[in-house]
Amino acid sequence: MEATFKVYRYDAEVGGKPAFQPYRLTLPEEATVLDGLFKIREEVDGSLAFRASCNRGFCGECTLRINRGGRLACITRVASVMTKEGEVTVEPVRNVFVLKDLVFDVEALLWGKIKSVEPWLRPAGPAPAREYLLPDEQLQPVRNAMKCYYCGLCDEGCSVIPFDKTFVGPAALTKAYRFVFDPRDGARAERLRALGEPKGMWDCVHCFEADEHCPRGIEPTHRIMDLRDTAVGMGIKSGTKNPQVARHYDSFAASVKASGWLDEGRLALETWGFRRIFSLLPIAWRAFRRGKLPLPYRHPKRPGADRIARILEKVERRNP
Amino acid sequence: MPKHEVLIVGGGIAGMRAALAARERGADVALVCKVHPLRAGSGSSQGGMNAAVSDGDSMELHALDTVKGGDYLGDQDAVELLAAEAPQAVIELDHWGVPFNRDATGRLAVRALCGAGRPRACYVDELTGHAVLQVLYEQLLKAGIPTYEEWTVTGLLLEGEACGGVVALELASGRIEAFTANAVVLATGGCARVYEPSGAAYGVTADGVSLAYRAGAPLMDMEMVQFHPLGLKGRGIILTDALLGEGGYLLNGTGERFMLKVAPTVGERAPRDIMARAAEEEILAGRGADGWVSLDVRHLGGESLQRRFAVTSQLVKTVGGRDLGKEPAPVRPVAHRSIGGIRVDRDGATGVMGLYAAGGCAATGVHGANGLGGNWLLEALVFGRRAGVAAAGQARAARAPRGIESQVEEGRRRISEIVARPSGPEPAGRIRSELGGLMRQQVGLFRDASGLEAAASGLRQFRHRYERIGITSKGKRYNYDLVALLELGSVLTVSEVIVAAAQARRESRGAHYRQDHPERDDTRWLTHTLALFRPDGPRIESRPVVITKWHPQGRRY
Repeated sequence: MEATFKVYRYDAEVGGKPAFQPYRLTLPEEATVLDGLFKIREEVDGSLAFRASCNRGFCGECTLRINRGGRLACITRVASVMTKEGEVTVEPVRNVFVLKDLVFDVEALLWGKIKSVEPWLRPAGPAPAREYLLPDEQLQPVRNAMKCYYCGLCDEGCSVIPFDKTFVGPAALTKAYRFVFDPRDGARAERLRALGEPKGMWDCVHCFEADEHCPRGIEPTHRIMDLRDTAVGMGIKSGTKNPQVARHYDSFAASVKASGWLDEGRLALETWGFRRIFSLLPIAWRAFRRGKLPLPYRHPKRPGADRIARILEKVERRNP
Repeated sequence: MPKHEVLIVGGGIAGMRAALAARERGADVALVCKVHPLRAGSGSSQGGMNAAVSDGDSMELHALDTVKGGDYLGDQDAVELLAAEAPQAVIELDHWGVPFNRDATGRLAVRALCGAGRPRACYVDELTGHAVLQVLYEQLLKAGIPTYEEWTVTGLLLEGEACGGVVALELASGRIEAFTANAVVLATGGCARVYEPSGAAYGVTADGVSLAYRAGAPLMDMEMVQFHPLGLKGRGIILTDALLGEGGYLLNGTGERFMLKVAPTVGERAPRDIMARAAEEEILAGRGADGWVSLDVRHLGGESLQRRFAVTSQLVKTVGGRDLGKEPAPVRPVAHRSIGGIRVDRDGATGVMGLYAAGGCAATGVHGANGLGGNWLLEALVFGRRAGVAAAGQARAARAPRGIESQVEEGRRRISEIVARPSGPEPAGRIRSELGGLMRQQVGLFRDASGLEAAASGLRQFRHRYERIGITSKGKRYNYDLVALLELGSVLTVSEVIVAAAQARRESRGAHYRQDHPERDDTRWLTHTLALFRPDGPRIESRPVVITKWHPQGRRY
């Protein structure tokens, strides 16, 4: 099989601009992209830098962008991604700082953020003499989250990180989930309060890109929603430095309860408060002129609004 | 120049366990690793870890299975220690947060793995090693143990007969530094990358084994190399033998379950050495299907496969293009683990003062001539912990080494000499893949005197070629070319020892099968081979096996 690998090359030591270098390769039919990269490094150009470890899709070390999609090079067959012209484009994933060629700063993308969620078990009390006696169903979600092999593809697909590199991101939140839902952990409330601070779980915009990108089917966005639901269910509507999240939550519910609709003007006002709302005035004015900002509290009732309010009351009684 | 009391080399399961144990004993400990700890090869271990935790099981039964599985070459005192400490090793992980599967009563569930007389492996779905690796790393972070990631150790600091640290190369910058320590624990993994193809991680290039050997530590049972029966067609990705433990079949080209001929009682639950040899025999006798045998798990049910082996099924689908629920997958034995390694006592001591070893690079003697699935992770944890404890004790006893600067300078000179050399007639990668092929061919599942002689002379040529090559990459940052050249040096050194040990052992036992000596010979060969470094090649000696309770018997399954 003939293939042309177009590989992203950049070396800060030499300088210059990044460029795609083409390499024509003859590969066996079942070759993976990683086989191709090794062939380049071992036979054509020893200076090509890329990472790889387990060789079997288990460790996440060779995560790259291959023909515009984030993939693990070691389990991506060349034949399955090659274009009609026989081309395979290999580059670092997005949202990263490139160190050399295909080697990028994983500490900034992933490891540092994972370290920030206190990623170790904080047992509720002294450990039992034997193993913890637990129903298997309680550990199943933990195992599911721990399938994560830190490939970083959820963070590379994330819609928030390109605008805010300090957002903790879906990978680290999935790590946090593993402790929050571990029945052996005793720090659930504390963890959720910490995750509720700015740059934490409330900064996720639930675009579901992470779920699309996760090769292990962990669905990180759903895990983030589980974290939020649990937090709210426990009365932890936000962290101490993030009071607008709780206000947003309460305002949302109050608005629906009052009129059956979402009163967007009221939501903005109650979420941000009078002082902060002034800084939003230019946007508000533009929105108002285009008829996009209904005046707060002057919301007509939706037909059947009373029934909606009764449903909400019923739910509130069930989950006080 | 970083300075610590205890330095762990290798960030896999054995290394992290050793680091945690040393820290628990109050030592100032740090870890140096070639890849980030969460990328270590031990994360690929799927099946589980054996421990007699279920009703009706006992340490005695676990030990017996291990001794018999190892074809009576195991040191039985070490095996008994392993079995005795196993339950605590598992429970400790459970307390740290490994989400082990539970049975209906909420206790640890156990599964059947090959070579075990009963279900005994505690497991985390099909990702046991991955879960253990993550939890150990969590504990490492909790303990605040510093890690030096992406550093390749290029030499040991030696003062007289004692080890006082390492010299290492930082991949990101190319700088070479000394790490001094009163005790060093090598946990660098085994030697399976000596073979091509190999199911091991790319970094498993025998670095630590070669370093310790050159420093004077004897290597034990290096001829014992485990081949895994389930290397998937392609690059030989290994599929978990839990697939066989839970009822999968191995079929030859005519659809016959050939394991029933070899091991009528247990079939595909036989130990790996027996299954690998049987599969290779079918293929060599032309009874395979285009040079492969088939793994057939269709009868386990698509839904059950999806539930219990989702990751494995997906892997087979992506890489092998097969749906395990609907069709068999072509497999062939592939080099998996080195049973031999740096000989260590029960506390990981290598014989070189201040130098300890654990995990894949060490030979504790528990596996004998063939390791059982479920005992590898366990060995790394049990003996990793013991090595960490011993190293912490040593750390307080020893004094800081002297004469370091000249050794670091020597290390720097050696590297700059390699970089300055012209790139030479051929790349290191070509030598390594040819070498791996030769090892597979002549020092693989079937060996004989003439093949081993051919391997030995082949290695002499590779050595000659190796000395004439350089690297094309001259940059300092992320110079993988340089690392590959250094790794090839370790691979060559260790290959020579494997061949010499295989030549010495004139019998067939466990993973070592000599066609010219097809029988096990308990009168002459109930001994370990020991390889000692000599400048003109390894000197092979022997050492009797420790037998406590179980005298060698026929090994039938």
